[in-house]
Amino acid sequence: MLAAALQRIAQAVLTALAASLLVWAMLPLAPGDPAYRILKARAPQHEPLPAEIEQMREDIGLDRPLPVQYASWLGKVVQGDLSVSWRSGRPVAEEISKRLPATLTLLGLALVISVGCALALALISARFRDRWPDRAIRAYSQIGAALPTFLFALLALQYIVVNAGVGKVLSGGALAYAVLPALIIGVDRAAGWTQLMRASLIEVMDSGFAHVARARGAGETRILLRHGLPNALLPFLTAIGVSVGALLGGAPIIEAVFTWPGLGSYALEALSARDFPVVQAFVLVSALMYVAAALLVDLAAMAIDPRLREPRR
Amino acid sequence: MTVAETLLSPGRPRDPVTATDRRFLRRLWRHRSGRAGLCLGAVLLLFTLLGAIWTPFEPDWPDYGAALQGPGWPHLLGTDVTGRDLLSRLMDGAWRSLGAALAVLVSIFAIGLVYGTLAGLARGVADAVMMRFADVMMSLPGLVLAFAVIGILGPGFGNLLIALIIADWAWYARLARSLALSARDRPDVIAARMAGVPHRRIVAGHVLPGIALHLGVVASLALGGMIGAISGLSFLGLGVQPPHAEWGAMLSEARLYFVVAPWLLWGPAAMILLSVLSANLISHGLRDVLAVEGRR
Repeated sequence: MLAAALQRIAQAVLTALAASLLVWAMLPLAPGDPAYRILKARAPQHEPLPAEIEQMREDIGLDRPLPVQYASWLGKVVQGDLSVSWRSGRPVAEEISKRLPATLTLLGLALVISVGCALALALISARFRDRWPDRAIRAYSQIGAALPTFLFALLALQYIVVNAGVGKVLSGGALAYAVLPALIIGVDRAAGWTQLMRASLIEVMDSGFAHVARARGAGETRILLRHGLPNALLPFLTAIGVSVGALLGGAPIIEAVFTWPGLGSYALEALSARDFPVVQAFVLVSALMYVAAALLVDLAAMAIDPRLREPRR
Repeated sequence: MTVAETLLSPGRPRDPVTATDRRFLRRLWRHRSGRAGLCLGAVLLLFTLLGAIWTPFEPDWPDYGAALQGPGWPHLLGTDVTGRDLLSRLMDGAWRSLGAALAVLVSIFAIGLVYGTLAGLARGVADAVMMRFADVMMSLPGLVLAFAVIGILGPGFGNLLIALIIADWAWYARLARSLALSARDRPDVIAARMAGVPHRRIVAGHVLPGIALHLGVVASLALGGMIGAISGLSFLGLGVQPPHAEWGAMLSEARLYFVVAPWLLWGPAAMILLSVLSANLISHGLRDVLAVEGRR
């Protein structure tokens, strides 16, 4: 177990390094001279003089070889220095740490709601297979899976909140305000997971050992909870890991719909203003959270399934 | 909801057929959700093709006298704040929304096929280098990477499509490579080798078609998610620029006038829902009939 876990952690560190390389590469890859663009972003009206550009190039170390630039960038990032915003000149890390809790609250709550929702619905669906509760749940998951999350959120927000006046959404970023948006996101995302979880439950319920349990007189509910659930959990867990990435990538869209003061909306503002360090920081933070989530999922899978505890070579 | 998630479901169906099999289309037609998806898809295709050659009104032409009219005659689905006909804009935007999703998937398919097959056939150092590069590209979640690329290139429809291609190609390259590696042991490839068929012809005639088929099916399964991603990013204003119509971009315009003109939201929302639904239904059918697992 320990060897396999350590191997997985080492792999996660490598992935994080790869992601950091990609994030850093955004700057040299972008068209145009970064020094010119920084000056332009700070003072859009003012056309920078050649001397100013030269000075800026030296200030941010553009005259050094690329590997050295990457190493010094990485060194600063590890110490929590995400450089300064081109627009405001203030440290990006400061703003990110102010915005991050709002995003984590919203996405975390949405994740919890959707996991709970999907588990419950899939269990009901598998228990009452091909009867009306199953049909209703399948219809829901079919339509929910076909509605992109932002579209469902948009419709729900307009019809429930604006028209019917239920709940309050606007801003704050606090937990109390997060409930409704998180519920909306959670209900939509649970749809796909319900399909997935139902399929794995049904597969277990049709397998040999479930029939044996049935032959020995176990009730359907008992088989579902004692045999079906533990065996179906593994693919479900993997799916959650994958969709943390989807949630993070969808954060700019979701936060735009809910006017949520989180990381995603910050990144979106920065994108339209071509404020590079902020976009970079958003990508980096998302990547790190994604890597961490994938790592947690895999460690949890190891804890559940003994077959995964052997280190791979 | 990405396709990756819908496709994680375990369980292989019994008695699969391959896409070259003549029974394939009949099987897909007999599959319940496959048939529903095909019918819906055919209607959407007609809508898109019709929209490319004819629309009832000029889609980008404002008519301030007819602003914010509800559904009725002559504007069947109503008009937006500058009096542009909603139905015309939906028809005009269809090929931008659906065509773009198709174009992105075809590009990803082609790049992944060539890159992955080359790596798998080259083996050794070249393979290792190529795959490490693909691994680096896969270290970021797709949408986040797409966002980063848009950050580099700037907003715009072309850039959005490039970003989505860059975000996803590596997954397909990796799959193509593993298929290329396993093709060496496939019975038809071994038989061809034993019959003395030259290496180049084995690759072109046996290895490549097999990989292309499998990869093509996997790519088609991603269609629904791609339509959603394009409309989502266009909703943010990162895709099609005004005045041109695109369903996601139309949603963000519609949202401003929701209280006075809710019908502006209905049209694009219904079109996106139906398109993704059709793509999902077909992919359910494909997955069952062909027994191909999707991208993870």
